[in-house]
Amino acid sequence: MATAPDDAHEVENTLRAVLADVLGLDRARVAGFTEATALFGALPEFDSMAVAGLLTELEERLGILIEDHEVDADMMETFGALLTFARDKTLR
Amino acid sequence: MTAPLAFERFRSSKGEEWLLRIGREHAPAILFVPPLFEEMNRTRAVTVAVMRAVAKKGQTCWLLDLSGTGESEGDLGDVTWDDWRHDVTSAAAHIAEKARKPLIASLRGGALLDDAAEARGWWRFAPLDGAAVARDMMRSGLAGGVEWAGYKPTDALKAALETRAPARVAPLRTVRLATDPANADAKLEGPALWRRSEPGTSIELAEALAADLVKWSRTCAGS
Repeated sequence: MATAPDDAHEVENTLRAVLADVLGLDRARVAGFTEATALFGALPEFDSMAVAGLLTELEERLGILIEDHEVDADMMETFGALLTFARDKTLR
Repeated sequence: MTAPLAFERFRSSKGEEWLLRIGREHAPAILFVPPLFEEMNRTRAVTVAVMRAVAKKGQTCWLLDLSGTGESEGDLGDVTWDDWRHDVTSAAAHIAEKARKPLIASLRGGALLDDAAEARGWWRFAPLDGAAVARDMMRSGLAGGVEWAGYKPTDALKAALETRAPARVAPLRTVRLATDPANADAKLEGPALWRRSEPGTSIELAEALAADLVKWSRTCAGS
């Protein structure tokens, strides 16, 4: 397990890196994501195995545990929603 | 220089399965054990790229299809965990008989199947516990997807998978991506291609893996 990142900015950087890795997107493109950028349902790369990969990679790199009941399409709908989720889990 | 490519059959517990060979028959041999389920498809391109790169360096690579997957004529619903382990053992024996005792190169979940085979050494790329594989496959059903990404292994195979971890073998070298926090003998820069829905490859990662693997294979010269 990685050491838990301790500030909001680091969580955001980790989330962007995981999205680039899991979805196979260019880092520059992911760097341009805003809170309103639509993800799940909007990006063809974001299929059901990518959901699994995203959760697993976030758990490993943020040192958190995500329960299945916490996962739904809303929480991955936008970059902002996913970032809020990741920060809430990591920075409690 | 191009490396010869051939398909061979080997005896599995329920019939015959396929081995893809890249390189000459009589050269130091490396048997690749693929990742499990969807990751196998996702890493096929990079696996073959690594095999080609290794073959160019004078060693011969073999890749097996596990029973009920890939080109196998069997049905995944009939396959047991022991069948898969037996596949790896018989593929290694087939290679030892035709050429030389192989080094085993296991990718991801392939590392859960590689320890019973006769080998001159082991090399594992990004190995993980069976529980993590099972968790990923179950999670593919979250957020509206299909559980197990449409694969239909038996409950017994799932149960076996969930309790397995890569076994202790020697000599062993473990390689991981630089972004992976777990322990490894070497860390390489590159993308986690097994996470990608678009089958892709990375020439840089394939070359780096091939270089590391060939070096380790020479260290484990064996018989």
